[in-house]
Amino acid sequence: MEIKKLLFVTKFEDLCYSALNSLLALRRAALEHVIFLNVIERDKVAMKRGVGYLKEEEVKLKETANIRFIDWAENLFEMGLEVGAYMEVSSLIPEILRVVEIETPDLIVIGHSHKGPLEQLYAGSDVTELIRRTQVPILVFKHMMEDNIVPEKLFDRLLFATNWSDTCPKAVDYIKGMKNAIGELHIMHVVKDSALKSRDTHEVQKVRKAERKKLDDLCDELEESGINARAHVYVGDPQREIEKAAKEYQASMIILGSSEKAAVLERWVGSISKNIADKSIFPCLLIPGEKNI
Amino acid sequence: MSKKVLVVDDDPDVRSFVVTVLEENQYIPLVAQDGVEGFEMIEKQKPDLVILDVLMPRGSGIRLYRKLKTDETLNQIPIIMFTGIALRSFLKSQKALDEFNGGEIPRPDIYLEKPVEPEELVAAIKKKLG
Repeated sequence: MEIKKLLFVTKFEDLCYSALNSLLALRRAALEHVIFLNVIERDKVAMKRGVGYLKEEEVKLKETANIRFIDWAENLFEMGLEVGAYMEVSSLIPEILRVVEIETPDLIVIGHSHKGPLEQLYAGSDVTELIRRTQVPILVFKHMMEDNIVPEKLFDRLLFATNWSDTCPKAVDYIKGMKNAIGELHIMHVVKDSALKSRDTHEVQKVRKAERKKLDDLCDELEESGINARAHVYVGDPQREIEKAAKEYQASMIILGSSEKAAVLERWVGSISKNIADKSIFPCLLIPGEKNI
Repeated sequence: MSKKVLVVDDDPDVRSFVVTVLEENQYIPLVAQDGVEGFEMIEKQKPDLVILDVLMPRGSGIRLYRKLKTDETLNQIPIIMFTGIALRSFLKSQKALDEFNGGEIPRPDIYLEKPVEPEELVAAIKKKLG
């Protein structure tokens, strides 16, 4: 699956041109169309007692977005890319889903929202909500105020963490679609501590060997597609180990599947994908499963 | 007989402004809100003039302009580009697409950068339609 069209959702303070610029490496793969979306949350212009609907504020916010988008669009148009833009007063997730329906993008790029722990517990993060309701892969950028500068070469060193769930084949297919943009790919699987509980060293080594074999087979498959891939087996808590591997291999992005089961459970226990997308300092590409609606 | 002018723009305020200007000057206004709808209207209605924005959802004015200029049945319809995108960027984009696709698309006759006064728009329309 190639990324020909991407939807770039921005509030400007969370995602700016440097993030967009880092995505332009995808032109080497297949990117030809970028859609901008700025959603002005309703409460910013809502009816206020004694004031009414804040039309002037809406105009100001829309024009502010328009000025930024024109500037960005000019740069992209000059490169020969196709560009479109939406600026709407709405609610974020429904508006993203509406635009996804109209434009059918191959990738959604979104900044990481900053909701407090209580808000997240009851409402879930925007990313969680979005991944539950769309089949389109989502790339989560982090807030610029954190000490996380957008990597200039976003596709230089990708870390694909797989748990061999049903999303794995879809993720592999998606990665193959980006082959001309990818520098190198590190594929990892984290063996949970519980899987190594045995008195027999031989049994424990067999687990590692089996996982390594599966990873090597996947590397071979990807190398046949022209992607330089390396396999890594880690042991321990998946969230911690994925973050560790990303640091060790200086990953420019983490790629994760997000299964339907996890989407159902995460409100209560927190899925690995969601936690990494929320907490990691690395940009995260989340690939939803096929029945993830 | 009044002439038909199609305005293709995603901004309802801009569409409303242009429609008012057209009606006050005895033209028949037609409207479309994006590049895809714009092309459908052009094929169906064969307007005498198109006023075309650039940055829109579902197909930009840059692609629609190229599509019209390379369509043998539609390439004689005059086009006024009416946009916030600078002419310089428009021309660079066409050059990039020319290099990629081969061939060369003619420059637009009239390129108006928003905002413009009604008189300026009317003058541009009259220049093309008389």
